[in-house]
Amino acid sequence: MQALEVRDLTKTFDDIRAVSNASFDVPEGSIFGLIGRNGAGKTTTIRMLMNIYVPTSGKIIFRGEPVGNEFRRITGYLPEERGLYKKMKVMDTIMFFAELKGKKGRDVTDKAKKYLSRFNLSDRVNSKVENLSKGNQQKVQFISTIIHDPDFIVLDEPFSGLDPINTNLLKDIILEKKREGKVIIFSTHLMDYAEKLCDHIAMIDRGKIILNGNLNDIKAEFSKNKVSLVYEGDISFLENHPFVETVSDFGNSVGITLTGKGSSQDLLKLLIENNVGVIKFDCDDISLNEIFIELAGGMPKEEYSLV
Amino acid sequence: MFNYRTMAVTKRELREKLMSKAFIIMTILMPVIMFSMVGLQALMVQYRGDKGTKIEVITEDSELSLKCGDLLNTLPFVKDGKWEITCSTVSEKELKTYIEKKKGAILTKKLTGVIFIPDSSLRDKKIEYYAKTPNSLTVYEKMNGPINKLLINEFFSDKSLTDEELQFARMPVTFDGFKVTREDKIKEQNYGNIVLAFVFSILLYMSLLISGTTTMTSVIEEKSSKVIEVLLSSVSSRELMTGKILGSSITSLIQMTIWLSPMIVLISTAWISLPDKFSLDIGYGHIIYFLVNFFLGLLIYQGLFSMVGAIFNTTQEANSGVFPVIMLILVPFFLSFSMITNPDNSIVAAASYIPFATIIIMPCRFTLVDMPFIYPVLSCIINILTLLLIFPVAGKIYRVGILRSGTKPSMRELIKWIRTPG
Repeated sequence: MQALEVRDLTKTFDDIRAVSNASFDVPEGSIFGLIGRNGAGKTTTIRMLMNIYVPTSGKIIFRGEPVGNEFRRITGYLPEERGLYKKMKVMDTIMFFAELKGKKGRDVTDKAKKYLSRFNLSDRVNSKVENLSKGNQQKVQFISTIIHDPDFIVLDEPFSGLDPINTNLLKDIILEKKREGKVIIFSTHLMDYAEKLCDHIAMIDRGKIILNGNLNDIKAEFSKNKVSLVYEGDISFLENHPFVETVSDFGNSVGITLTGKGSSQDLLKLLIENNVGVIKFDCDDISLNEIFIELAGGMPKEEYSLV
Repeated sequence: MFNYRTMAVTKRELREKLMSKAFIIMTILMPVIMFSMVGLQALMVQYRGDKGTKIEVITEDSELSLKCGDLLNTLPFVKDGKWEITCSTVSEKELKTYIEKKKGAILTKKLTGVIFIPDSSLRDKKIEYYAKTPNSLTVYEKMNGPINKLLINEFFSDKSLTDEELQFARMPVTFDGFKVTREDKIKEQNYGNIVLAFVFSILLYMSLLISGTTTMTSVIEEKSSKVIEVLLSSVSSRELMTGKILGSSITSLIQMTIWLSPMIVLISTAWISLPDKFSLDIGYGHIIYFLVNFFLGLLIYQGLFSMVGAIFNTTQEANSGVFPVIMLILVPFFLSFSMITNPDNSIVAAASYIPFATIIIMPCRFTLVDMPFIYPVLSCIINILTLLLIFPVAGKIYRVGILRSGTKPSMRELIKWIRTPG
């Protein structure tokens, strides 16, 4: 069942079409990634989901009804541009955002204390936000997002600016919320995070959804005739070889697309014959990054949908 | 519009403002400022800075000159040495030469001025004053009475009048004002309500301006600190604006009630009373009307100030953009002052029914002029209608403006914002 259905969503600012006829579905209980490079239209799409921007056209259906105040009430939103009231105390801030969602009382205070403890902020309960480090302010912002135990968690570029330890902590909480049956929607331009966390994705480029669906299905479709290789030695001989269509360098690994004239076994044999040290050889595997570069790396391509 | 989200925003505003140092300081400071302003004005009236004034009084008749000397030297400011007055005799023909001779002294201020009392003044009371600054009100006020007395004495000296008759002739007319009201009794008018109208006018002006600019700054801060987007994920822009305005308005209303509390005590108890000259001719209805009018005024102006805050990105930009809104407070404030000298001023009476102006002018008129209660009620209706007109427009500009950054919008863009559906 779809928790959220986005249909032909368009937003224009004067002459600029920031999002154009975007359509995708967010299934119940999923982690959904809205991925794309900077300026692709992710934040505008999310702002329309949150009713911050009024769409120029199109609709958003939440569990069968047009999205409205009820969706906002059960949703926690972490915007890309973080902001808190600088003069407010940490606990007051968290309680204020809980109250905006209609939650208050001792239970909420206890829950806030638990989260603050988990994020190592127990000693800063009465500190003013302006006296916290940027990292700690981000933690307070995240706690404020989830304090009312939302059914939907919408995170716009949640990992930007976080150190590795807090990134892991955030990932843990996202997975924990998924286990509780919550829907998590997040936008990112970091493909690694999307690949590791998401069940479903929508890829947006220049305001248009160029790919959307279940991540495993997408990868299965795009990985045919693909080999991911980690090696030592020289593989320049693969260029212009009849077996090989393209060789893409991703730094730590290369992605090889086969023409179909030879199998992946033929390719492995070829590498060994040419004294290439094969460290990792994944057949029918492709990273989200490779898919992204293939689809959005050059000129706009036709829309792919695997739903 | 009034739901738990609006309430949460209102509560936050109240908590932040009522507990702030600025609120406490301002609540204490305002009465101090008020008393200082009234006191300073009284001091300025008393202090004329005329010590060392040297006046020569010239008559054409030597006998009159002697009498003049005798009379003027009895004046208190001459006796205590603040003024020096000499009297001499010069004929009208020689006056021009005499003034020419004194020109140097007058221009170097060694001599303040020369008063010439011609013989003809005993017929038309016209005298002449030669000085570097001949329009000095101090010289006029201080010398007018004694010279008039001198001329009266001289004029009636050969008319065989008794001292009593002469005394009567010298007496100025005294105006005692009696206020004719719709009630049965006619009350003697005093200065209490004039001072009160002055105080109301200043309180409204200062409070509307201060609370408005505070709200404007707070909107700009929410924009610049990016907290606005988080807020808008939970509340609509209309709920947010309403909550903020309500919170700020209630804070200012509490502050105003604190400032007016001495007045409430004065009219509710006979234990404390002002001197008769300054007693207040107002009732509870007056205070309630003033507070209701003030609250409506706050809602209107806070809407305008929030709108300006949403349009601009920095306080500096907003300070220049807010000028038209400040004028809407400033013009009625000055108009209300002219009413203190003439409460029946027809321009001010008309302005007391004009939207925005009515917020400041009507409470002053109601304090000074006896009028049926329907007029202040009409003023409140005008305020409510203004509010109903202002809020949707301000709300639309606020909704688009708070998420906008970059260059200042043009007037065309602002109109486009207002027309944006949703």
